[in-house]
Amino acid sequence: MIFALPTLAEPRHFSLAEKLLFLALAAASVWGFWRRFGVVLEKILEAKKDAGFHLFPIGRRGREFLWEVMCQAKVIRQRPLPGLAHAFVFWAFCAFALVTLNHCATILGIGFLDPDGFAGRCYFYFAAVFALACAVGILGLFVRRFLARPRWLGEKLSWESGLIALLIFALMATYLAAFFVSDKNPAAKALWWAHTLTLLAFLPVIPHTKHLHLVLSPVTVFLSRGGFSRIPPLSGDEDFGLVAGKDLTQLVSLQAYSCVECGRCTEHCPANNTGKRLNPKQIVLGLRGYLNEFGPSSDEPLLGKYNSQQAVFECTTCGACEFQCPVGIEHVPILVGLRRGAVNTGAWDDPHGAKLFLALERGSNALGFPLAERDRFIEKNALPLYDGTQEYCLWLGCMGGYDPKGREIILSLVRVMQHLGVTFGVLRKEKCTGDPVRRLGNDLLFQQLAESNMEALKQSKTKKIISICPHCVRTIQEDWKEYGTPPEIEHHSEFLARYADRLPQQQSREKIVFHDPCYLGRYRNVYDEPRAVVSLAGKLVEAPRHRERSFCCGAGGGLAFLGEETGERVSHNRAAELASTGASIVGAACPFCNTMFRDALAAQGAGAPQLLDIAQLAARTLPQDNST
Amino acid sequence: MKIIVAIKQVPERDAQVHIDSSGQWIEEANLQYAMNEPDAYALEEALQLKEKAGGEVIVISTGPERVSQTIREALAKGADRAIHVVCDDLAARDALGVARLLAAAIQPESPDLLLTGLQSEDLGLGQTGVIVAELLGLPHASLILQVEIIAKEGSKAQIKARRELEEGWFQSIELPSPAVLTIQSGGNKLRYATLMGIKRAKTKEVRTVHAADLGVSAAPAVALEAITLPKKQKSTQILNGSAEEAAAALVEKLKFEARVL
Amino acid sequence: MRVLVILEERGGHISRTSWEAATAALRLAPMQEITAVVIGAQTELPAAEAAAKAFGKVIRVEHPLLAPYTSDGYCAALHQLIQQEGPTQVVFPHTYQVRDYAPALACRSGQALIGDVIEIADGPVFTRQLMQGRLNGSYRHAGNGPCFVSVQAGAFRAELPDAAAATPIETFTPAIDAAQIRTRPGEPFRGSAQTVDLGSAQWIVSVGRGIREAENLPLVQELATALGAELAASRPICDNGWLPMERQVGSSGQSVAPRLYLAVGISGAIQHLVGMKGSQCIVAINKDPDAPIFEVADYGIVGDLFEVVPALTEAVKAAKQ
Repeated sequence: MIFALPTLAEPRHFSLAEKLLFLALAAASVWGFWRRFGVVLEKILEAKKDAGFHLFPIGRRGREFLWEVMCQAKVIRQRPLPGLAHAFVFWAFCAFALVTLNHCATILGIGFLDPDGFAGRCYFYFAAVFALACAVGILGLFVRRFLARPRWLGEKLSWESGLIALLIFALMATYLAAFFVSDKNPAAKALWWAHTLTLLAFLPVIPHTKHLHLVLSPVTVFLSRGGFSRIPPLSGDEDFGLVAGKDLTQLVSLQAYSCVECGRCTEHCPANNTGKRLNPKQIVLGLRGYLNEFGPSSDEPLLGKYNSQQAVFECTTCGACEFQCPVGIEHVPILVGLRRGAVNTGAWDDPHGAKLFLALERGSNALGFPLAERDRFIEKNALPLYDGTQEYCLWLGCMGGYDPKGREIILSLVRVMQHLGVTFGVLRKEKCTGDPVRRLGNDLLFQQLAESNMEALKQSKTKKIISICPHCVRTIQEDWKEYGTPPEIEHHSEFLARYADRLPQQQSREKIVFHDPCYLGRYRNVYDEPRAVVSLAGKLVEAPRHRERSFCCGAGGGLAFLGEETGERVSHNRAAELASTGASIVGAACPFCNTMFRDALAAQGAGAPQLLDIAQLAARTLPQDNST
Repeated sequence: MKIIVAIKQVPERDAQVHIDSSGQWIEEANLQYAMNEPDAYALEEALQLKEKAGGEVIVISTGPERVSQTIREALAKGADRAIHVVCDDLAARDALGVARLLAAAIQPESPDLLLTGLQSEDLGLGQTGVIVAELLGLPHASLILQVEIIAKEGSKAQIKARRELEEGWFQSIELPSPAVLTIQSGGNKLRYATLMGIKRAKTKEVRTVHAADLGVSAAPAVALEAITLPKKQKSTQILNGSAEEAAAALVEKLKFEARVL
Repeated sequence: MRVLVILEERGGHISRTSWEAATAALRLAPMQEITAVVIGAQTELPAAEAAAKAFGKVIRVEHPLLAPYTSDGYCAALHQLIQQEGPTQVVFPHTYQVRDYAPALACRSGQALIGDVIEIADGPVFTRQLMQGRLNGSYRHAGNGPCFVSVQAGAFRAELPDAAAATPIETFTPAIDAAQIRTRPGEPFRGSAQTVDLGSAQWIVSVGRGIREAENLPLVQELATALGAELAASRPICDNGWLPMERQVGSSGQSVAPRLYLAVGISGAIQHLVGMKGSQCIVAINKDPDAPIFEVADYGIVGDLFEVVPALTEAVKAAKQ
C-alpha cells in the first residue's frame, strides 16, 4: 500500500551550468559560515585551558548528551509546549541530515537515496513525518515569539529569529511539496532549487546568530564540568578568578557562544524577578560581547563595559538559571568566578561584605558573635560533646550555634535523635564552613576556613556529620574537597526520612506547604526526604513553584549578610507565594530560609502561616516530654 | 613619607584560653593568632596616608616565629616591607621592656611617622606607643581616629589628628613630624585580606632582628604574677514585681551595678 | 609610704573617678600618708575641694603652660614633682587623659604603669583584666622607684573621710618652657549632632513589633528623651515606615555599640542581634519570657511594655533629678 502514496520528486538531469552554479553557491555558503564560525572557534581555542578538566570518565558525558541533547529532556520538561515544538525542529534536523546530504549529492549525480527504491522511499517518508511536525512546531514558535511575546525573550523583537523561522519553514515546505509533483514536472526542479537556496542561505546565518547553538550546544553539554554549580579550582599564582579576558577559560568561552537567548535563566532568576539589575542571560551575553570586542587574551576588566559588578553581587547562587539552561551553560561558576575576580583582587568594596570578611578573618562565625555565646548555648542545654565514640557529630553551624531560631531547630533535632536513641555530640569549637565567602568569591578566607575546620574534624576523629543547614552540607561535602578530604555528611532531612517509620504519625489534616531550599533541592537533589518528614506532621501541599523549580528565599550566595536589597525583597515574593497556598504551616529545611521568611511571613499580615523547620515538625509528633 | 606601623599578634578573638600549669600565662600550644584589631586600624590609616601622599609603609612586630604569619598578613594588605624583632620571652617583659625593643629597632629607620594601635586585645595595656614616643624623644598623640598632613616642608610635616575623647567629644591636635600616634579602632573601614595580596606579599622583604642583639634590658619593672578566671559570668537578671517595682529596680541596677546612667 | 593621687577636674569639680582613685589609694596607705595632687593653670578651687577630705596634704601643681592639657606639659611638671616628693606610689584615675601621659611619665622614672586596675590586695598586688575581661592578671611592682597605678572607673566606690582639721595646701611651680610643648591641642567639640548617628550614640532605646501601632511610638520616645537616648528600631518598624530607615538597627541597618541598649518589644531575631550585640549593657522589655532577646540581655523585665515603659520613664526622670 505504500506504493499508493506519492513519491518524492527528484530532478534527474542538471546542466553543467547548473552544476557550476551550485558549486559556486555552495562554496560561498560554506565560506559565509566559516568566516564567522572560524573566528568564534579561534576565540574559544585561544582561551585559557580549564584547570582540573578531565574528559574521563566519559560515561557521564555520554548519558548527559543522550538525555539533554538527543532526547531534549530539559527543553521539553521545563517548558512542555514550546519545548516539544523545539524538539520536533531538532529531531527533524537530525532526520534531515541524510536527506540534505543526498539532496546535494543528486546534482553531482552521486545521490544515494533512491526515491523509487524501498529504502529511499521509507527514509523519505520517515523524514516527511518529521518535516511536518517541524513545520507545525516552527509555526508555533513563530506565533509565540512574535504574537504571544513572553517577557524573558527580551523586549526587542528578534528579526533573526523571524528569518530563521522562515528559512526552516521554507526548507520543510519545499521538501514536502516535492511529494506532490512528478519529477518530470519543471516544478520539481524549481522546488529543488528553492530548497537548495534556502539551505545555502541558512548555513551562513547559523554562526552569525544565536543559532550558533545548533553547532555549539551539543559540544557544550558534552563538555560540561558536571555536578551542579561546580566551582572550578584556581590554577597557579596569577589566577584570581575571572578578572579580565585572559582569565576566561575555553569552557566559559564555549558557553558564552552557546547561549540561545531563550531566557529561561532570567525567567527563573529570583533577583531578576524582584526588580534587580542582575539578568543571567545578559551576563552570558555580556561575556560574548566582551569576547567579540576584546578577545580572550585581553587585560580589559570583565566587569565594566559588558557586565556590572552590582549585578554580579545580586546573585543568590540559587542555581535556577543553571538548572534551567538547555544548552549546558554553568551560570553559577561564571557568576562566582566574576565575584572571585573582584574579591580576590580587592576591587569589590562593599561595607557589609568587608564586615563579613573581617568577622571571619578574626572570629569563628559569619555573624560576628563571640564563641562564648555558643558555649553558653551548649552548656545551658547540656548538649553532649563529641568525643569520637558517638555515631554523629552534630554540626551546629553559625545559625544553629548563634541564631535563636536556628537553636530551636537544633534542639528539636536533638529531641528526635534522643527519642530514636541515636548518639551524637557537638564540637567544642567550629568555624563557619566558608559557604558565604566561597560564594562571594573570597578564596583566601575560604581556604583558611576549610583547612582549619578539616584539621579540627580530623583531630576530633569525626567520621559522620549531621547538619541542619544545606549550605553547610554542600560546602563541607563538595567545596572542601579542593583542600582535602572532608568527612561524610548528611542533611537532617535525609536522617529524619530514614527513621520516619520509627517516628509517630500525627493524625492531623493541617496543611503544610514545604519550601525546597535551593541548596538541598537543586544542589543536592533531595526532594522526597523532607516531604516524607512533613507528611508525618500533616497534609503536604505544594507551592506553585516547587521541587526543581523552587524559588529562592534570597539568603544564598552570601546575600544574607549584604544588607538591604534593591527592589522587592526576594523573601517577600516567596512568602506571599507560600502563604497563597492556604497552608497553615510553612515547612522549611534550612535555617537561612527560616530567618528570611520570619519577617517576610509576618509581613503577610494576620493569618500568615506559622514557620517551622522539618526538625520541629518531627519533634511535634513525639509524645509530650514531661521534663520540658 | 616613611611610616612605620607597630603591630602585635594576639590570640584570635574566639580563642579558647586556658591557664597554663605555671598559672602565670595561657597555654599557647593550640592557640590561633590574629593581628591585634587596633593595630589593623593603624595599618589601615598608614596605607591610606600612603595612597594619598606616597611614601613607604613598614610594619614592625615583636614576638616568636609565629609572628611572621601576622607580618605576612600586613604585607598582604599593602605594607611595603617589615621588621620582625624575634623575641621568645615577650610575655615576661612589661610594656616598658617591649617598647624598648621596638624603639631600638625603629631608631635606625628614622621614620616620619610611627603609628600603632591604641591597645592590644590580649594584655590591654595601651602604653606601648606612648612609651616608644618617650624613648625616641618624639611628640605623640593618643586615641586618634583620623590623620591628616596639613603642611609639608622637605621631610618635615605638620600633622593634624582627630582624637576621640569621651562620650561623643572629639578634639583636633596638631604636632610636627616625626611623631607617634596611637590609633583608636573604628576611624576607618578596614580592608579585607585578598588572595592577590597574599601572593604579592611573598616577595616583600622581612628583616629579622634578634631581641638579644638590640642591647636593651629585659628586667621588668612590673611583673605578672598569676592569672585567674574572673568570678562572675554574664547572665541575665530578670527583674520581677509590678511594672513600677521592676522599673525602679532596673534604674537602681543601671545606676549602681552596670553604671551606665 | 608616700602615695600621690593625681586628681582630675571635670566641669569645675573633681571627677568621681578621681575620688574613686583616691579611695583605691587607701588600700596602699592610710589617709594621712596620701597626698592629693591637683594640676593645671588655675588650681585654687579643686585644691580647696580636695582639702575638704582628710588627705595628708594637697599639692597644687600650677603653671600657665598646663592649660590646656598636653602630655608634654603634664609629664614635665609631674616628673619634677615626683623627683621632689619621692613617692612610693603614684595613683591616677584611668581616664583618656591619664592614658595619654602616664605611660610616658612612668617611663621617665624607668617604670611601667600598672593600668586600669580593678582590685588592690595586700602586697600590694594589683588586679587588672586581660583578654577582654576573660581573665584577671595579678601584678606586682618589681622595680626600684615609684610604682605607677591607674584605677578603672567604677571599680571602687568613692568613700573618703572628710577632713577634721584644715588640710595643708602647698603650691608646686614646675619649670616648663614653652618650647617643650610640642603638641597643639584644639578645643574639644561634639561629634556630628545634626544627623542620626546611632553608631556613636551612648544610649539607645530601640523599639520593635511589640509596639503594635505607630500611634504608640511617643510612649517610647518619652523614655528615650528621659534617658537622653537616641530612638532606634528593628526592621519591621522601619519597613512599615513608622521610623526612618536610618534608625534601623541590625544586619541590614546600623551596627551599634552604646553603653546602654534598651530593647522594647523586640523579640530578638538574629538580624537584629548582630547589630547590637556589642552594647555594653543590654536591657530587654518583652511580654514573652521565651523571647530570644532575653538570652543576650543583662537585665530583663517580662511584662506589658504599655505598663512598664511609662513606669520606667517616671523612674528615670526621678533618678535624674
